[in-house]
Amino acid sequence: MNVTRVRPGVVKVERTPLTVLDRLYLPQVVAGMMVTIRHLLHNLFNLSKLPIISYPEVKRVYSERFRGRHILTSREDGTTRCVACYMCSTACPAECITIEAGEDERTREKFPVRYEIDLLRCIFCGYCVDACPEDAIYMTRDYEMAIDTRARSVVGLRDLVVPPNFPVGPMGWRPYYGSIEKHGTAGGTGIGQQLRSAPFEDNAPPNPDVFRGGEAQ
Amino acid sequence: MSTLTKFSAIPYTGPAPTNREPYVAVDGPAADARGAAIAAALQHPGMSQELGQDMPSFIVGKEHIVDVLRALKESSEFAFTMPLDLFGVDYPKRESRESGVGSRSETGGLRTPTPDTPPPARVGSRSETTDLETPTPDTRHPGRFDVIYQLYSLKNNERIRLKVRVADGESVPTGTGVFKGLDWYEREVFDMYGVIFDDHPNLRRILTHEAFQGHALRKDYDPAQRWLLTENDVARIIPKIDPRFENVDTDYERVTLNLGPSHPATHGTLRIVVTLDGETIIGADQEIGYLHRCFEKMSETHTYQQVIPYTDRLNYCSAIINNVGYCMAVEKLLGITAPARAQHIRLMLCEFMRIADHLVCIGTNLVDMGALTNFWYLFQPREEIYGLIEACCGARLLPSYTRIGGLAVDVPPDFLAKSQRLVDMMPKFINDVEKLVDRNKIFLDRVVGVAPISAEDAINFGFTGPCLRACGVPYDVRKASPYLGYETYDFDVPIAEGGDTYARFLVRMEEMRQSLKILQQAIDRGLPEGPVIVDNPYVALPPKAKVYNEMESLIYHFKLIMHGIQPPVGETYFQVEGGNGELGFYLVSDGTKNPYRVRCRPPCFQIYSAFPEMIMGQTIPDAIAALGSLNIIAGELDH
Repeated sequence: MNVTRVRPGVVKVERTPLTVLDRLYLPQVVAGMMVTIRHLLHNLFNLSKLPIISYPEVKRVYSERFRGRHILTSREDGTTRCVACYMCSTACPAECITIEAGEDERTREKFPVRYEIDLLRCIFCGYCVDACPEDAIYMTRDYEMAIDTRARSVVGLRDLVVPPNFPVGPMGWRPYYGSIEKHGTAGGTGIGQQLRSAPFEDNAPPNPDVFRGGEAQ
Repeated sequence: MSTLTKFSAIPYTGPAPTNREPYVAVDGPAADARGAAIAAALQHPGMSQELGQDMPSFIVGKEHIVDVLRALKESSEFAFTMPLDLFGVDYPKRESRESGVGSRSETGGLRTPTPDTPPPARVGSRSETTDLETPTPDTRHPGRFDVIYQLYSLKNNERIRLKVRVADGESVPTGTGVFKGLDWYEREVFDMYGVIFDDHPNLRRILTHEAFQGHALRKDYDPAQRWLLTENDVARIIPKIDPRFENVDTDYERVTLNLGPSHPATHGTLRIVVTLDGETIIGADQEIGYLHRCFEKMSETHTYQQVIPYTDRLNYCSAIINNVGYCMAVEKLLGITAPARAQHIRLMLCEFMRIADHLVCIGTNLVDMGALTNFWYLFQPREEIYGLIEACCGARLLPSYTRIGGLAVDVPPDFLAKSQRLVDMMPKFINDVEKLVDRNKIFLDRVVGVAPISAEDAINFGFTGPCLRACGVPYDVRKASPYLGYETYDFDVPIAEGGDTYARFLVRMEEMRQSLKILQQAIDRGLPEGPVIVDNPYVALPPKAKVYNEMESLIYHFKLIMHGIQPPVGETYFQVEGGNGELGFYLVSDGTKNPYRVRCRPPCFQIYSAFPEMIMGQTIPDAIAALGSLNIIAGELDH
């Protein structure tokens, strides 16, 4: 492909004139085969570097920012962090989050009685995570969400809430803290503590076994 | 990093949201001066200038619009030869406020002619004048709809906006006689607003289907309605036979054939009906809208931030360019610019996306012609590009990475190293594909001279991007009106001659190399230090660390989520160079959190409208090869 300059900032790509040899067609077939054979040999001697993932035996390792299935985090005492403020459902462009708020008789705290995400409506944009003022909703690296009925696409509190000692490994899109060292969540061994030790750039591989705890209803 | 230090405990003292102030275009005075010069040179009675816009803007009486379009096109001084866009905006309040021009009767018979009587004079200062003395169109046509034409002059590298105001039920003379490219745009305005274009050759719905009732982008249209299309409602498309072949007598029987909408060679849901004489295509017509997702209507019911994920789904092969284009349009309306670091990252990702777009186009185009190996060679670097995007924002195809005012998060620390690795590996694959096909006689026989379009026709249709450059017209938004600092990079706009499928292939191949050149320069310069989003809590969410700790930031956070960004009242247009050509966003803000109107100018809409003309007299395999080379992305085509 020859390129000639027409004027500053503009180049013209010349059309390739065919030589007599090219017109014979066979030399070009051989030249093309050489390229293919080079790739074949290169791949044959670098089998481990093949750009192929034998899914589902081997799973792709996504980055620590991957926007997969959501979770609702818990405080150290086991209660959910969510205070049913409706910020996530307001920010959601797909309107896939349904919240019903209740009040704890004892502590006068607001909490979600119902929290449902329709995973078929969800577009996995991460706006709910960005909108949450309570560190309550995260996204994970779980991308295997196949279901066989539409009803199962709606996941509720039972599927979303994870225990306080939930590991960082399978975590995906999280609130963006930048490089600040303390982000003000309560101390202890809760999820906030773990995140502090595992910054955003953490590259821990996902652990699917830990994550696949709650099956959909 | 420094995104966090920007928020201090002291209250924010920067500019407050000015949602009651009108938008002031930065280039307003220059545009006004230029507009005055154009008006003085043309001396057309039907034009009255609208001041303070971001480009020379005129309100034109509907009976004058064809004359004005022709005068602007044929003027040797201005030469507005390219119809960039035509769309509508609905202002129902304006009509009810004005003294009842145009009946609001919702009759189904939209084609009933309206009485050609002048509207009753308003009581007011300007209504004392009669039509003949000072024909100011804005008082004579206080109609409900703005039909907005945007033209571009390749000669002077400038734009112009013409607005025609029509009341409900009124009609506008068609501009298809002046610009071929207005054909589909007029159909779209008819479909979405019910504005009739008199003497349009084929005025039927384009994006919605035959059983659809009403006009979707009118403000009083209830979007919750559902219209069921049954088999009986489907219009039979009978392509018009091209006059060149009408009287040619061959031994073959004429056959009408449907290609698509569900066909592997159409890459998306496109339907082409062709009439064949033997193997020759003698008539063709298209049906689009199978992937219509109401992008523009949905935008009107969502906040400015919430529109960003929707823009991903326009041209999904290069989604970040759409994100950037939309965000920069809103930033223009807000009068802010993203920080240098964000701009640099945006530019790099845009170039990666452009390469990915071209890789898909060339790869699938070659698959259509039976060259499958190229597909694997080209999709490997594309896969790696998506890996890089995923590392930045957590999604591969639909990133939603940008935010208004910057980016959602900073890039990972190894971003530049990963980019360098990609830039290093990419030429190998591009060169391999070149070696495989560029001198291959089979390939050349399939592409040389196939589906050509002349430069004049391409401009007349409103082509932009690689398809226009393949005709030898070096128009590139990155050069013509640089954004994101493209003017500081050393790169060339590739052109080719012929305008055929081969030329489009050549241009795309060279463009990938030029993009790599830009990327190498960007990597060498390094990422500027600093925040990735503006320091303005009325636009950007405060970082979480502040939200959890400070009341001030929590309130800003809450206000921004609940009440959204509220840009000043006004309208603006911003264009970027997408994978297929000029991708423009026209925004109208009424000062609330939702856009009043978002208009996306999808580049392949115009390109695809010329497709029948390009394949006339060719064969079906040629049409398939040509379709692949145009890179029609249905998501963008159908909004």
